[in-house]
Amino acid sequence: MRLRCFAFTGFLLLVALPLDLSAQQPPGQQAPNRNDIPTITRTYAITNARIVVAPGQEIPRGTVVLRNGVIEAVGPDVPVPSDAWVLEGDSLVVYAGFIDGLSHVGVPAPRRQGNQNEQRRRVRNPGDPPPERAGLTPERDVRTLLKADDASIEKLRRVGFTMAHVVPRGRMLPGQGALIFLRGQTPAEMVYQGEVSLYAQLEPAQGVYPATDMAVLARFRQLYREAARRRQHATLYASDPRGLEPPPYDPVHAAFFPVLEKRLPVFFYTEDALDIHRVLALQQQLDFPLRLAGLAGSFDVLEKLKQANIPLFLTLDLPEAPKDTSKLGKLPDDSLAARHNTYLHVSSYRDVPAEIENLKARQAKERIKYYKTAARLHEAGLRFGFSTRGADPDKILGNLRTMIQYGLPEEAALAALTIDAARLLGIDRAAGTVEAGKLANLVVTTGPLFDEKTRIRYVFVAGELFKIKEQARRSRTREAATTPARADGTWSCTVDSPEGAIDTTLRIEGQSGTLSSSVMPEELPLEDLTMEGAQLTFSVMTNAYGRVEARLTLSGEAAEGTIDVPGVGALPMRCTRTSGPER
Amino acid sequence: MLRVYLLACCLLLGLSTTAHAQRKGDLFIRNGTVLTVTNGTLKNTDILIRNGKIAAIGQNLKVPEGVEVIDATGMYVMPGIIDAHSHIAISNVNEATNPVTAEVSVGDVLNPYDIRIYRALAGGVTVSHVMHGSANVIGGQNETIKHRYGETDPDALRMEGAPRTIKFALGENPTRVHGRGHNVPPLSRMGVEFIIRDAFHKAQRYMEAWERYEQERKRNPRAVPPAYNERLEVLADILRGNILIHAHSYRADEILMLLRVLKDFGIQRVVFQHANEAFKVAPELAAFGAMASVFADWWAYKFEVYYSTAYNAAILTRNGVITSINSDSPELNRHLYHEAAKTLKYGGLTEDEALALITINPARQLGIEDRVGSIEVGKDADLAIFSAHPLSIYTVCKKTIVDGIVRFDADRDPDDMRLRVDPERPVELAIRWGDRQHGHRCLEGIDLIEFLTETLQSEWQ
Repeated sequence: MRLRCFAFTGFLLLVALPLDLSAQQPPGQQAPNRNDIPTITRTYAITNARIVVAPGQEIPRGTVVLRNGVIEAVGPDVPVPSDAWVLEGDSLVVYAGFIDGLSHVGVPAPRRQGNQNEQRRRVRNPGDPPPERAGLTPERDVRTLLKADDASIEKLRRVGFTMAHVVPRGRMLPGQGALIFLRGQTPAEMVYQGEVSLYAQLEPAQGVYPATDMAVLARFRQLYREAARRRQHATLYASDPRGLEPPPYDPVHAAFFPVLEKRLPVFFYTEDALDIHRVLALQQQLDFPLRLAGLAGSFDVLEKLKQANIPLFLTLDLPEAPKDTSKLGKLPDDSLAARHNTYLHVSSYRDVPAEIENLKARQAKERIKYYKTAARLHEAGLRFGFSTRGADPDKILGNLRTMIQYGLPEEAALAALTIDAARLLGIDRAAGTVEAGKLANLVVTTGPLFDEKTRIRYVFVAGELFKIKEQARRSRTREAATTPARADGTWSCTVDSPEGAIDTTLRIEGQSGTLSSSVMPEELPLEDLTMEGAQLTFSVMTNAYGRVEARLTLSGEAAEGTIDVPGVGALPMRCTRTSGPER
Repeated sequence: MLRVYLLACCLLLGLSTTAHAQRKGDLFIRNGTVLTVTNGTLKNTDILIRNGKIAAIGQNLKVPEGVEVIDATGMYVMPGIIDAHSHIAISNVNEATNPVTAEVSVGDVLNPYDIRIYRALAGGVTVSHVMHGSANVIGGQNETIKHRYGETDPDALRMEGAPRTIKFALGENPTRVHGRGHNVPPLSRMGVEFIIRDAFHKAQRYMEAWERYEQERKRNPRAVPPAYNERLEVLADILRGNILIHAHSYRADEILMLLRVLKDFGIQRVVFQHANEAFKVAPELAAFGAMASVFADWWAYKFEVYYSTAYNAAILTRNGVITSINSDSPELNRHLYHEAAKTLKYGGLTEDEALALITINPARQLGIEDRVGSIEVGKDADLAIFSAHPLSIYTVCKKTIVDGIVRFDADRDPDDMRLRVDPERPVELAIRWGDRQHGHRCLEGIDLIEFLTETLQSEWQ
């Protein structure tokens, strides 16, 4: 890297020239606060790079000039401006910055209050809880919830994402989404566009109405139809207030007005095929502008999705094989799946190993369905972007490679990351390709994007350069290794059962512990208690259900996972450490 | 052996693909003993199914070209069993947060992947009345489903055109959940009655408000509509007679209570579910036109269910109450034919009367008797084929047919019939859950359990 900066003072030249510039911080990133020290230049030129202008459209050797956060020029013979910071792009490839169709990046998870269980009991009538307890906060604007230094921003930017459609966390109606840049010193600097979406999910409240998916759906219908009536009332009143009672106001119903006017789409997150069916049915009943994100399991709903013809944002998370120490555990999914016999019928307990093997093979087959989902959406002619919600950023590029390996054309994968996402979010005039006039959102790689050996070298977000260092990742893992997560202490947990939320308490000390709950007469000892990395697993023998198994992922003072109750299923379990471990 | 399975799989594969392409099938069932339920027993009889409907019943019928033939020689063909009380194939059962939740519907959360649909088919059951739970006085709406196992679209399960029904619940369950649990009414049986009357009164006022608005709107274009209420909309539909009530109930006094309430509000159709004491008020039920869906012999699981008798179904039947026997259980629904057979011993019902308890009678209670519940020309081809008379203890369900499509075949029944599996969780084996219990209780199983435990432990330590 070399600075061409004839317009600058000799003093600056003297300071800059003798140094090895690759070791120097690029301008704009050197100070903790950009406002403290004037930026040297906001003009960049990436020269002699392979430029992937749009999927399938390449300039084998060319220059990209960025000025003031916008792409000024792209082409094989573009002159380098005199004030530009030059990145020599020989052997590098320039792509448009990736766009995340839906996530919580930059929106920190609220800290759980220790006395939350207490608060739960204090709701006088669980059939009519305050809106916030019911998960109804559609008036909340995610722009007020952003945190500029949230670690999630850097993690996602490091894998090429430059913009994201972010939504608040919560339950049924968490609030309104915004489009943000993955950069900025303050929340305000991050915002690109607000009032982009009303975010909704089939996420029941805990222990209060709506406590089930079916009640969430009913509540949504009620809110939507009553909002329509209130809007009618408000319109009448606005035209002439005389003789009319003023329309009632509350923020929950009012948040639906722009949706009723079809100015604001509802973004629904769906976890599986059933969610998709349910949300599509709801949309049929009410006819609101809908966007779907998540879409795991959508391979079973392709026909309906084709008919619905709505923007889709597929999760970048993919299922992973469970830990299996047997010989089969070493097989790749394809070989494992090939061993599956759909018609196996064992007749003796001596055949159980064969059955186990077959069940594992079946599961591998099922995983492959998820790997193939992106390809199948593409083949069905459905245009989609991606959602990083629930995906580990460090696994995103690997997961994309898996999707490509299972049939998704590379160009379609790139389109979903860039221009298709932009189109579906309505910002394709401003982002999604490497074209003059568009936002200076770029990903600069050492080779073809989906090649396993390729590394991301630079990311530009709205003209701001971020050098991607690889060793940062390694040091983090080392750090994690030296301070392993500990499960010791008292945990206050909530299990979402079909009959409502169940409060439980976990006490763990070293290799033993107990589980107690309001629904059980006695404390039960934890068995098979293991802690591996951040994975806590244990089982408990209950009178009513036999052996119940739990697997939780610890992160700091919170733990989340499932508890598997025979005959009932895997129930979500969330815990907060209320005391310990002793340090 | 392998060849047999391969053959079976090809056939099954063929079946399931046609099932997806066209949801109604053509079949020819040859030379069976046909238990029509409504028209006696026909020996050596053929049934022709065309496009999912029964097209002809008779002896020596001609097989149309291209129609698959099932040889039922020596076997019994009965109408598909109808379970009037079930909770399979849904993701939620109770919205237990409020004593009245008429606005929720289990039909919104159907789960076609539920393996229990297939297991019900293995017991000859083709239709289930999938119900909201009994936590609330007025619970959610129910859904009548056909067991079209293999379809993954929830809408494919719905029995199109079946009347709407709703769950009510009297007695201990709602008073325990809301009264004792949340300290909101009802805390007593009196409170249960109050909740129902209060809900209906509110629905009446709601209907009046909307009628007033509709009238005013004709004169005044600036009329403001009253507040919309999804819950009261459904309750109003009950008052209008558009939704059938299925009331969870046990005691005779609460059954009479609900009859009085319904009379006061002009509601005519009600089915009492469980109704263990219905035999005490059978004449009153018959006079009202109310129906009862009961267990054959299941009781004493809580205080209000002690005064019970296995003669309940027979006494009700003899008193002219349309009665069915239901399962309320994903296990019991696999042998409802046994449950029905018990009435031959307890009460001396005839074979046709006993079979009616699990076929045409539940169909009447669900308002679908013109479509299913007996073997008649023009009805849906929902049939179960048994190896022996279905009321015999030795009988085995061999095939179950829904809309002319074989959805269960005992001879083509591989171990893993799930439609989807969790791609991440360690492979679960049903036996693992209860191993310790079995170890304690069941000597015969001990070697098997030990073997399994060892195998599993070595693999997933």
